Amino acid sequence: MLFRFIMRRLGQTVIVLFCVSIIAFALVRIAPSSPARMMLPDTATDEQVAAMEVKLGLDKPLYVQYYKYISGIFHGDLGTSTQYKTDVSGIIANRLPATLELNAVAILFALVIGIPMGIVAGSKPGSVTDFFAVLFALIGQSMSPVWLALLNILIFSSWLDLLPSYGYGPLVCIILPAMTHGYPVAAQITRMGRSGMMDVLREDYITATLAKGISKRKVYTKYAFKNALIPIVTMVGLQLGIFMAGAVVVETVFSWPGLGQLNFQAVGNRDYALVQSTLLVTAAIIAVINLLVDIINSLIDPRITLE
Amino acid sequence: MNSKLIFKRMLHSKFFMIGFITCMLIVIFAVVGPSFVVYDAEKNSLTEQFLKPEWLSNGWQGHILGTDELGRDEFTRLVVGARYSLAIALVVTVCSAVLGTILGMIAGYLGGAADAIIMRMCDVFLSIPNLILSIAIIAVLGTSTTNLIIVLIISSWVQYCKLSRNNVLVTKKMEFVSASKCLGATNSHIIFKEIFPNITTQLIILVSQQFGNVILVEAALSFMNLGISPPTPSWGNMIAGGRTYLTTYPWLCVVPGMALMITVLAFNFLGDGVRDVLDPKRT
Repeated sequence: MLFRFIMRRLGQTVIVLFCVSIIAFALVRIAPSSPARMMLPDTATDEQVAAMEVKLGLDKPLYVQYYKYISGIFHGDLGTSTQYKTDVSGIIANRLPATLELNAVAILFALVIGIPMGIVAGSKPGSVTDFFAVLFALIGQSMSPVWLALLNILIFSSWLDLLPSYGYGPLVCIILPAMTHGYPVAAQITRMGRSGMMDVLREDYITATLAKGISKRKVYTKYAFKNALIPIVTMVGLQLGIFMAGAVVVETVFSWPGLGQLNFQAVGNRDYALVQSTLLVTAAIIAVINLLVDIINSLIDPRITLE
Repeated sequence: MNSKLIFKRMLHSKFFMIGFITCMLIVIFAVVGPSFVVYDAEKNSLTEQFLKPEWLSNGWQGHILGTDELGRDEFTRLVVGARYSLAIALVVTVCSAVLGTILGMIAGYLGGAADAIIMRMCDVFLSIPNLILSIAIIAVLGTSTTNLIIVLIISSWVQYCKLSRNNVLVTKKMEFVSASKCLGATNSHIIFKEIFPNITTQLIILVSQQFGNVILVEAALSFMNLGISPPTPSWGNMIAGGRTYLTTYPWLCVVPGMALMITVLAFNFLGDGVRDVLDPKRT
C-alpha cells in the first residue's frame, strides 16, 4: 500500500513538473520582443537579429525548441544568462545556500516563538496572555512583509543601532531578515497552536486524566501538548516550499544574496533565461519538499495512504 | 439559514462588527475621499519637498501627513492610492472567485477526465508560489495595471477551485440532486441552480478571507515596480518611494504601511467574523 502510494505521488510530481516546464518554456515565447533582440545591442539590424535567432534555434518549430530545452534541463543546462553571460545553473547553485540558510533560521524562529505562544494562549483562553497572542497573530497575518522589513530596519538598525540592516556572512546579519521572514509564519503557528490546544483540552481523555488526579501541569505538557502539535507539524511541512519561495521581498529589502534577490534583479534586467529558470527551480524544490512531506506523513499516519 | 438569525449573530460577533465598521469606513474613504482632496496626487511641487506632517494644525487644507520627495501631498496620495488598491483587490477577488468556482464545479460534477485535468492544473499552480509566478509573468508581459490584474487572477483562482470541487463532491451525492436528474434536468441546471446555492456560504467566507491577501500581494508587486507604476499612487509604490528616505523622513514609509496594515487587518477581522456568523460550527 505504501509503495503504491509513493509511486502514485511520484507520478503526480513528475506530471506537475512537466507542466511547470511548459509554462516556463512558454513564458519566454509570449514575450513581446524576441529573446534574440534582447541579447543584442539596441542598434542591431533586423538581419543580425535573424542571424541570432538561427543561432539560438528560435527559427525551428516550437516542439523542436521545447525538446531542446527539456533535454538541456536533463543535462543540467538551464540556458545562458543575458546579464551575467554565464551558465544559469551555476548562478542558481551559487545563490541557493543563502536562501536555504535564511529559510532555516526563519522557520526556527517561527517555531520557537509560535509554538509556546500558541500553546500558552490555548491553555488559558480569555487571559491577558491569550489576548496578546491573538493580537500578535492577527497583526502578523495582516502586515505587508515589505513594510515589516522596513520597520525592522528603522527600529533595530537605525534608531536602536543594534543590528545590521544588510550584509551576508556574520551571524548577526541574518537576525533581521529571518525575523521579518518568519513573523507571518510565527503568527500562523500561534493561531493554529492556540486552536489546537483548545480543541485537545476539550477531549474526554484530558478530563479523565485530570479526574485521575494527575497534576494539571503534567496533563498539559505530557498529554495535550503533543496532540496539539500534530496539525502544526503538518501545516509547516506543507507550507515549507511556498514559504521558501516567498523570500523575494525580504531578500530584496535586506540585500540578501539568495534566489529571491536574483529573481528580482533578473526581472529588472529582462534576463528571461534567469527568470524562467528560477521559476522552474523553485517549483522543483517545492514539488520535492511536498513529496517528502507527504511520504513522511504517510509513514507517521498510515491512514493517509488510503485516501 | 434565515436572515433574522444571521443578523442577530452579526450583531453579537465582535470580529464581524469591528471588521465590518472599519471596512466600511475605509471603503467610504477610498470612494468619496478623492473628490474632496485639495492637492493633486501626481503633480510635483519641488518647493514643498519633505514637509513634516502637520496633522490638523492647518485644518484639512494643510499637508496633514506631510509631503514626499517630489513635494506631493502624502495624504492625497494615500486617499487616491486607496482607491486603486481596493478597486484592484475587488476586481481580482470577484474574477478569480468566478473562474475558480466554475472550474471547480465542473471538475467536481463531471469527474473523470475533466476532473483529472483541472485538478492537475491546480497542482501545477499550487507548486508555483503566486508571488514568483506573478513576477515571472509581469517580467515578460511588461508592467501595466491590466497585466497586474490578470496575474493576480491567475495566481489566486486555485483556492476557489479546490473549495468548490470538494463541496460539489459532497453535495452531488445528495438526494435532491438525484431527484432533479430523474426529472430530466440538464447538467448546467443542476450545477448552477441546484448545487451552487449549497456552496455559497463557504465561498463567501473564502472571498472575505482572500481579499486582504490580494491587497498584500498587490502591494508587494507595486513595491518591486511590477504593479501600479508611478506617478500613479498605490500604497505599495508609496512604500517603495519612501524606502530611500527611510531613516531621514520615516513617515513616507510608515504612513502607507500603516494604512495597508489597518486595511488588511480590517478585512481579516471581517473574514473571521463572516465565518463565525455563517458557519458557527467551525469556530
